[in-house]
This record gives sequence, structure tokens and C-alpha cells, in this order.
Amino acid sequence: MTLKLQHLLKTTIFISLSFFSCMTWAEIDQEQAIHVPVNTLHTSLLSIMENADTKSFQERYDVMEEVVVTHFNSPLIAKVILSRHWKTLNEQSQADFIDLFNRLTISTYVNRFDSFSGESFSNLSIEQMKENRFMVKTVFVRTENKPVSFNYIVQNDGDEWKIISVIANGINDLSLKRADYSAIIKEKGFDSLMASLKEKISDLQTK
Amino acid sequence: MTGWRLINISKLLILTGIVSLATGCATTQNNDPLESGNRVVFNVTETLDKHFIKPVAESYVDVTPVPVRTSVTNFFNNLGYLNVILNDFLQGKFEQGITDMLRFTYNSTFGIAGLFDISTPIGMPANNEDFGQTLATWGVDQGSYLYLLGPSSTRDITDEVPSTLLNPFFYLSGIVFAPISALNAVNTRANLLEQSNIRDEAALDTYSFTREAYLQQREFQVHDGEPPATGYDDIFGDAGGDVGNAGDEEESGMLVIE
Repeated sequence: MTLKLQHLLKTTIFISLSFFSCMTWAEIDQEQAIHVPVNTLHTSLLSIMENADTKSFQERYDVMEEVVVTHFNSPLIAKVILSRHWKTLNEQSQADFIDLFNRLTISTYVNRFDSFSGESFSNLSIEQMKENRFMVKTVFVRTENKPVSFNYIVQNDGDEWKIISVIANGINDLSLKRADYSAIIKEKGFDSLMASLKEKISDLQTK
Repeated sequence: MTGWRLINISKLLILTGIVSLATGCATTQNNDPLESGNRVVFNVTETLDKHFIKPVAESYVDVTPVPVRTSVTNFFNNLGYLNVILNDFLQGKFEQGITDMLRFTYNSTFGIAGLFDISTPIGMPANNEDFGQTLATWGVDQGSYLYLLGPSSTRDITDEVPSTLLNPFFYLSGIVFAPISALNAVNTRANLLEQSNIRDEAALDTYSFTREAYLQQREFQVHDGEPPATGYDDIFGDAGGDVGNAGDEEESGMLVIE
């Protein structure tokens, strides 16, 4: 009886430990997976900053293109930004908008992160918003100016986590663009929005 | 009473009047019910800025060394700091209020009338508090968006009263007040050059862009840089990412962060 009890106790401890260690590892794996798109973005941004003087705009664009296409959920972002206008577009127009929006995002990153003087990114914390959605809080530390808070909303997209929103110092890029683009569509129509975006991209690439 | 003081008092009364008139709009779902009027004022100030104020600010940056501009900024920030201290206490931030009193005292004395910010390096950085944030902590909502000389709201514009009355400059004679106010205006615009250039590069409709950025920035400040993450969910309309019907509220200018 004593032996049986001992065996039962050992088995219970073993199963419990295995269960909790699996849970812990699963949580760690998930946290690492959630950080992948954010860390990849930050590493690439620092890379294009450091190489701003030696690499051309196009070379730096290529670096950022891979990051944006792979780690941003562009279709969802485009849908949120165009909100109710999205459904009024045919598939081709939707695809054209996603493509143009990606080009604008990439060009903006390359244009803004165009020099390096010791800046760095630090991960601060992670906060769950919904079952498959987290906010990753980070800070961009600058040597000569105040730090900038960069928070990312990251959502599970099937097998991987992707960025669906960037919030800089409390300003959500999604809602900013939604208000901006909605005003243009309302006043001048979707084609005018597309023309304006093309013009912005051209300006960013030539400056 | 000098003419300058009369002008300032008139400004305060007008602003207070606007707030009273607009209070009726504060409960609406639309954050920008005054959009048509706001856009007119916005276009006028943008035109003035483009042709007059911005070029002056750019010239000021060109001819004024960075340390001098920093000291000018420190000086004016320090003068306005009594309003920060008042609002620390009104928001119940007593520890921060005492630290800010020390900061003001140190910078006003050892920092030579606030020209040098000696408090930040010794662990007393500047805080950002105003009466609009105080009202927010007391439960007053943003109200209607207002554009006068810059972006504001029927709640935030109330800060004009304490910030003006608590600023020592308000009590100076017009001969001194006018040139120093002009310097403050040019220096403030110069400090905003980078931000306004980024806005002009990014925005398609600068009015909507400015409004959205202002309203979000205020929420960020009200929560001392830590707004609740859940507030950012609203924009997704949440049906697992199906946002096809989301956005109607945005059409009316409603802030997506609550």
C-alpha cells in the first residue's frame, strides 16, 4: 500500500511538473513568436539607418519590402483603413490599394529612418488584448532627442503573428490614415486617393 | 489697466464663451460638429503660417544657435510651469506636485530665471499637465473639436484661463509683453517645424490628419503615456478581423480611442 501510494505520488508529481513545464514553454514560445515581426522590423530599421550613407534608396527599400510584405497583415490593414469604402471596391481595386499602401509604408520607413547616431529599440512589455491579439510595447531611444514610444498590435494570422497596427507616441497610424483617406474619398473619390498616394510615394522616393 | 491686459481678458472671455456655447455639442457622438467653421479657421491660419509665420520661424532657426533656442524654450516653459503645478494638485498627484514645485524653484533660481533646465539631470524631468487633462481625470469628455490658433477642444480650451492667469507675463505692461510674446510665438513655431514638416509629408487632408493626431495625442497625455491597450481594439470592429462595416463612426470624426 505504501509503495502504491509512493508510486501514485511520484506519478502525480511527474505529470504535474510535465504539465506546468509544457505550459511555461508554450507561453515562452508564444511570446517569442509574437515578438518576431516586431524584432525583425526593428533590426531592419536599424540596418537601413546604419547603411543610409552607403546603400541606395532602392537597396534599403528592398530590405524593408521583405519585412513589410512578410510581417505586416496588409490586407487587414487596408480593410480597416478604407473601412466601409472597402466593400464598394472590386477585387482588382482592393489589390491595387494594398500594393500602393505597402509601397507607401516601405517608402516612408526608408525616408524617415535615414541616418544613424546610436539609436536603439528596447522591448518594454507585452499585453494581451484578445485571445489572438497582443500589444507589444517598445521604445525607440534617441541620443539627441526624447525617446519615442512605439507600440505594435500583433495578431495571429493562421500560423504566424503579424503586425496590424503601429502606434507612435499614442498616435495610431491606422486611425490617422483612416480619417485622412476617408476625407479624400468623401470629397474627391477613390481614384483621387490613389493618385494622391502615388504622388506621396514619388515625393518620398525623390527627397 | 493696460490695453494688452484688456486684450488678454477679452480673449479669455471669448474663449470661455465659446466653451459655454459648445457645451451643448459635447454629448454628441460626433467629435467635430463644428467642422465647417473649424476648416475655415484652419485654412486661414495655415495660409498665414505658410506665408508669414513659418518663414519667420525658419529664419529664426537659421540665425539662432541651438543653445540659445534651448534656453529661450526653457525660459518660457518655466514661466508656464505654475500651471503644471496647479494641475498636478488638482489631479491628486501630490508627490509629482511637490517635485514640480522644487523643479520650478531650482530652475527659477539656480537655472537663472529658467534659462537653464538644471532639474532634469538631477532626476526632476518636466511633466506635462494642464487643465484639459485635469477635467479629463474628473470625468469630463473631450467635447467638440475646436480649431482656433491651433487644435483644441471645448474641454481643452478651458486651460487658456489658468495658464494665462498663472503666467507672470500676463501682468506685465504692453511694452514688455508684446516683443516677448512675439519671441515666444516664433520660438514655439520653430520647435514645431519638424512635426509640421512630417505632417505635410504624410497627410493627404491636413485638416483631418491634424484633428485625428491631436485627439489621439491628448488621450495619450491624459493617461500619462499609458492609455489602456483595449481602447485600440475599437477600430477593428471586431468580428475576427471582419471590419467591413467599421468606420462609420470615423466618418463623423469620432475618436477611435476611448
